[in-house]
Amino acid sequence: MHRGGRDQSRGQQDGGLVNLKPFLVAALQSALDLGIAIPDDVIRHVTADVLATHLPRPLWARLLTACLGAARVDATLIVETLGVPNLCEHVPAHILWACIEEVGLRSLSRPSTAPPMSSTRPIPLTTPPPPPIEHKPAAIVANPPAPAPASGEVELDASMRGARIPPGQRFRSSTTGIGRLAANNNPRRPQAQATPPAPPPAAEPPASEPPADRGSAPRVKRGQTEHDFDLETYVGGKDDWKNALAVEDEQLVDWAASDETVTNGDEIGRKR
Amino acid sequence: MSNDQRQAWFARVMESGLENDIFAPSDVLAHATPDVLASHLPPELLSKVLAASLAAGSMTPERVLETVTPELLAKHLPHEVLWQCIAAAATRAGVNKTVGS
Repeated sequence: MHRGGRDQSRGQQDGGLVNLKPFLVAALQSALDLGIAIPDDVIRHVTADVLATHLPRPLWARLLTACLGAARVDATLIVETLGVPNLCEHVPAHILWACIEEVGLRSLSRPSTAPPMSSTRPIPLTTPPPPPIEHKPAAIVANPPAPAPASGEVELDASMRGARIPPGQRFRSSTTGIGRLAANNNPRRPQAQATPPAPPPAAEPPASEPPADRGSAPRVKRGQTEHDFDLETYVGGKDDWKNALAVEDEQLVDWAASDETVTNGDEIGRKR
Repeated sequence: MSNDQRQAWFARVMESGLENDIFAPSDVLAHATPDVLASHLPPELLSKVLAASLAAGSMTPERVLETVTPELLAKHLPHEVLWQCIAAAATRAGVNKTVGS
């Protein structure tokens, strides 16, 4: 079709089609300019033998001069020295087309998944990753300057990171953990009194009870810190906290024997 | 290479192919069929094509490509389609006679 009035036979000759060369120049030059192709792609097709066969002597002289004056001879030097227009002028079109074809097919094959995109697919895929990347550096930056144990900050850092959790937890458990437990202990100690009768059922504990964790499972559950262990033993770790509080008589005698207790002992005796 | 670079290259090749009569607008539409255009062109561009055709009283490949420029072709159409158009033109020109495509 096309090219009204022109003979298709002219297209069979290299450069016989008047407008073919500008097309090849545009395709090849733009490919090089845009990084779609590199000079190595050109020289892979426009080999030294091809140049020897088709390149005119003046261009060979220019090329030799450039090569002699260059520290390194590579494809870039050759292509830049000769220039794409000169290559397309003298190198057979089918060779140039072979180069362009390779480049074009390669450009299609690399992101071949992209073309079918309906412009909506890539968006959800690309957007999610960036945010998490941004958060991590922020957490890392916050940590080094803040070794000082501000309880709230430490908790935030530990929640942000996975790697440094161990040191953070150590620090955190000693401060915030106790604070929480201490605050909770005051109201709960009286509740713990009710638990002592529970020890026999405490054999069942493993499954159901979140509140009963103190009496039965705590040692297993937590990453045993000394503080946690002590607190839990006061509360319910041993069955009878009453027994723990029930001081032996001998101990009471020792207190009464002191000087201060003598005076108090009178008062106590009166009271009694 | 980025998609932008590839897109720019296809736009340049399509533009050059049309400028140099390597292929004609009708050749482009032989590959960028109405189905392809309807599937990939955004609504506003389809609207422009139709409006231009209505104003001119006819819809021709040349008129379509006046609105859907090579840049827009490369931006919206699958590059495989554009490449088929280019490769077919190269075949017709006989430049790939020694290359199996």
